[in-house]
Amino acid sequence: QSCVPPSVSEEPGGRGRQKGPQRLPQHQRLQLSLGFQELSVADRGRRCRDFHDLGVNTRQTIEHVQESKTGSSGSLIKLTANYFRLTSRPQWTLYQYHVGYSPEMEARRLRSALLFQHEKLIGKTHAFDGAILFLPKKLANKVTEVLSRTRNGEDVKITITLTNELPPSSPTCLQFYNIIFRRLLKMLNLQQIGRNYYNPNDPINVPNHRLMVWPGFTSSILQYEESIMLCADVSHKVLRSETVLDFIYSLYYQVEEKRFKDTCAKELIGLIVLTKYNNRTYRVDDIDWDANPRCTFRKADGSEISYVDYYKKQYNQEITDLNQPVLISQPRRRSGSILQGPVALIPELCFLTGLTEKMRNDFNMMKDLAVHTRLPPEQRQREIGRLIDYIQKDDNVQKELRDWGLRFDSKLLSFSGRVVQGEKILQSGNVFDYNPQFADWSKEMRGVPLICSKPLDNWLLIYTRRNYDSANTLLQNLFKVTPSIGIRMNKATMIEVDDRTEAYLRALQQNITPETNIVFCVLSSSQKDKYDAIKKYLCTDCPIPSQCVMARTLSKPQTAVAVATKIALQMNCKMGGELWTVEIPLKQVMIVGIDCYHDTLSGKQSIAGFVASLNQTMTRWFSRCVVQGRGQELVDGLKACLQTALREWFKWNTYLPSRVIVYRDGVGDGQLSTLVNYEVPQFLDCLKSVGKDYNPRLTVIVVKKRVNTRFFAQWGSALRNPPPGTVVDVEVTRPEWYDFFIVSQAVRNGCVSPTHYNVIYDTSKLKPDHIQRLTYKLCHMYYNWSGVIRVPAPCQYAHKLAFLVGQSIHREPNLLLSDRLYYL
Amino acid sequence: MDKNVQEEQSMGIIKFTPPLYKQRYEFVKDLVGKYKPKKVADLGCADCTLLWMLKFCNCIEVLAGLDIRASVMKEKMHRLSPLPADFLQPAERSLTVTLHHGSVAQKDPCMLGFDLVTCIELIEHLEESELRKFPEVVFGFMAPSIVVISTPNSEFNPLLPGVTLFRHPDHKFEWTREQFQNWALETARHYDYSVEFTGVGHPPTGMENVGFCSQIGVFVRKHPQTSEFLQSEKPTEAVYKMVFKAVYPSLKDEKYLQNAVVSEVIFTARIIKQSLLYRLMSGHEEYNERKSKFPPSVNCLSEDPGKLVVEKSMEPFVNGNMVYIPLTTIFSFPKVNRLCGTFEKLCKLIAGKVALSSDGSAVIFSTGHKEN
Repeated sequence: QSCVPPSVSEEPGGRGRQKGPQRLPQHQRLQLSLGFQELSVADRGRRCRDFHDLGVNTRQTIEHVQESKTGSSGSLIKLTANYFRLTSRPQWTLYQYHVGYSPEMEARRLRSALLFQHEKLIGKTHAFDGAILFLPKKLANKVTEVLSRTRNGEDVKITITLTNELPPSSPTCLQFYNIIFRRLLKMLNLQQIGRNYYNPNDPINVPNHRLMVWPGFTSSILQYEESIMLCADVSHKVLRSETVLDFIYSLYYQVEEKRFKDTCAKELIGLIVLTKYNNRTYRVDDIDWDANPRCTFRKADGSEISYVDYYKKQYNQEITDLNQPVLISQPRRRSGSILQGPVALIPELCFLTGLTEKMRNDFNMMKDLAVHTRLPPEQRQREIGRLIDYIQKDDNVQKELRDWGLRFDSKLLSFSGRVVQGEKILQSGNVFDYNPQFADWSKEMRGVPLICSKPLDNWLLIYTRRNYDSANTLLQNLFKVTPSIGIRMNKATMIEVDDRTEAYLRALQQNITPETNIVFCVLSSSQKDKYDAIKKYLCTDCPIPSQCVMARTLSKPQTAVAVATKIALQMNCKMGGELWTVEIPLKQVMIVGIDCYHDTLSGKQSIAGFVASLNQTMTRWFSRCVVQGRGQELVDGLKACLQTALREWFKWNTYLPSRVIVYRDGVGDGQLSTLVNYEVPQFLDCLKSVGKDYNPRLTVIVVKKRVNTRFFAQWGSALRNPPPGTVVDVEVTRPEWYDFFIVSQAVRNGCVSPTHYNVIYDTSKLKPDHIQRLTYKLCHMYYNWSGVIRVPAPCQYAHKLAFLVGQSIHREPNLLLSDRLYYL
Repeated sequence: MDKNVQEEQSMGIIKFTPPLYKQRYEFVKDLVGKYKPKKVADLGCADCTLLWMLKFCNCIEVLAGLDIRASVMKEKMHRLSPLPADFLQPAERSLTVTLHHGSVAQKDPCMLGFDLVTCIELIEHLEESELRKFPEVVFGFMAPSIVVISTPNSEFNPLLPGVTLFRHPDHKFEWTREQFQNWALETARHYDYSVEFTGVGHPPTGMENVGFCSQIGVFVRKHPQTSEFLQSEKPTEAVYKMVFKAVYPSLKDEKYLQNAVVSEVIFTARIIKQSLLYRLMSGHEEYNERKSKFPPSVNCLSEDPGKLVVEKSMEPFVNGNMVYIPLTTIFSFPKVNRLCGTFEKLCKLIAGKVALSSDGSAVIFSTGHKEN
């Protein structure tokens, strides 16, 4: 299949998107007229999804929150948030027109050019996507006909028909605001990369790593609880001042010849590159080592041209290395548009953006970056304020806003949130509080017996000769720490192996007996292949809990005891032990957590982790996962999971739960309607199928960690992160949803990020306050961290499980393990 | 590339491949390639397409556009802004792009000192009074070395379907070749320019007598402008309104040069450090041998760090847990050398930005490279 370089366009584009051919087929042109509804005008010719899930009105179906969706407990706290009110003139109206052409004109550019020959009529202030025209004024007639002439002298009749008079809060208006706002950002000379805008004039150089960080903004305008607001947050774009070719060369210096191509593929595939000659980003999907810049392709007009000549002619870009391979990018398929062939990119003309997996694992690099990107609250607020400053100070921007009759508040939104009280941690008859500022009780639980401990009677400790000392030290330390927390332990069966995957596997096959409680492997370094092989074997063929630890982690004397304690707790959970609990007043409730893992690199597989509580104290969980095959819907598998979870619950409790509360994580922007229309009905179906008289109450809550919302707590004249337990259910929530924010975790550096909870289905009749409290309680129940985490524990468990399966196992683990947290 | 007209007999429609407007722009681009002007102004720049094409030409350092309709210019002007890549790898040349709102019938000092002025499909939009002032503004006042003027050739119009009077409703006139040439020759004579005529958009076979679809006059000033004095003798008030200005990052700007040098110095030093530690740990023969197998087309890293270091007597060394890489070694790398020019400049640019040894002669790193 022959690849073409990206088509000529000077306009910024999104990832891997190409502009359509000059002559659009009929169906695509028709789509144009839907343009505004899909926010297309924002980016001139490219269509994006509705990232804000507009039009999904779930609150109206939930009876008991029609009046109020706010909670009540806790103490008030003064907060500001990164929101600015958008105000418009009184009686402000946006006029929407349909513009028709006779004869039909296809090219959008031509359509604009023809229409704006009548600027006197239309005025200078307008937004037009090729079919729909927005004006701040009403034309004299409902239908206006004008004549324009093309360059070829053809006369075209243009009919401008008023189709809508939109009030400020109509959904179309909201999209329009976002379009206008993007226009303003462009006027401020900010550069669009992906969905956000960056200021290239003041880059932060990190020369040690050849990185450049551009400060910028992410922004969106939406209808929130009380008013239409701009949500603006600081965003940092990490760019790399090296081309893909530079990168390939430096890899060549670092790895052996025979692994070179594989390493290139591993490092580059999936990365986003930025082309030198226009402002477009592409995802690298493949590297074609057989091709080079001298290869030719067929242009739209049918002529053959080599990449070298093409880039020279089109952009005056010299390609100096004629032996470099060619990068291939598959355009993302989008509904409605015609499928386009892969795009070829020349490494020398592409810059790398973002971080590779390897860089993310480079502690020093991340530390150097964090200095610039992790802003403490005061600084973050200042940076956000700069955006509004830019807007208020730029004359052109102010004029554009004035022409449309719009205005932004210059101050951050302030309001009151609530801080709910901290939970008491219960552990075998002991009750303790934790310091609410740190939300961590690792000190408090020291020497306190666990709720349920599983003995280490019969266990294997596998290591290589080099790591004998580490293994031995660990064993000694485990003997030291386990008695005080109530874990009984025998000496492990010590097995020394060669540092090869097969040697580890053989040791497992030869030494595991039905009595084996757990297997402990000491690995030399982060050897993913070994880790994967061990996990795969012990999760599927031979279902035994296992613990793999890197020798380096064990070798530091100053942390050895702490590490041993942590490992003892982790192993205990993996074998089905229980650590602590919090008070949960709600009875007969089954909590479910779901999260997804999308394997973007290789198989394009998706995996959903499904975790359901088994007991009242939420200390035992049933875990399964769904490995989604091609063309399969994740939800079918989830239904099966829910069925088995109910069966397990019954086995444990001898009755069925009267309430099921699902925390659904891993929902992408714009996928909410699918969830509401498809997944929730499937859950209901599943519950119905259990039995005639069984009619439990169902609550489905969508959990979102990646939100742009930030809260700052006013502390005298200073700003701080709001404390763990801060709940916000006013002002910045959405009127059409039953939603709230909780800040549950504490962070040491930078700004805390609140988690957004959206109750999309609820027949529980539980008060919002109770749902909020329950949610916060569940954030205390993740056993791999003796502190409060960002999401309810079942979500984090589901995430862990899905990640393990997606990264290492690639198929559903053995169900014999499903009653314990073997994946921790 | 074939610039001939395609005649679709069945429909009687004349279609140019590439489109005629592109052929006109290509013509200008070729002219720029030939004369290498540093300062180019496009009068009647409309949606800035020609300017956008010209910004890729390496010889151009100043690009200016002028149009009477600000809104048309503004609609697409942001594509004249620098791209992320321009910031990531600032160019050697400097480039400033400005857009001005105003009339070609008025003089403004911002249009002085240009090497090439293009007026592509402009004059036919001018009212008679404006057209009368136009030669004085362009040839008399701006007085660039070269002026390019293109305009429709009305003799071609009968071949264009649907064209009754003019090709575009805003055209005030369309000239035959004779009309255009008379006007051009007279103008050239008056302002001491020579003019040659050509065009784009070949007529179909058998109809050659009508000439090009777009006729073009290329005017070249006969005498080089003697001095800057001429310009300063023309004090004029600014009447144009600047609507856009973009200054491209360039290594001519100290700020960008410093960034580039610091980044290159650290990168180079790290390569040297790596190869030094590598050689300390294993035999360096093996290292050099492997490098020589590298594909011959290596340009960007062809300066083999290993070899250079051995050749010069300024070896990096390890002292305690620090690696010392002499600046002189780093300076010997072509990329660094090219950026700085002189060793003094190198020292000046990296002062305070890169960790140096106490006497300032070497870049220092700690050897503890894998401690995390």
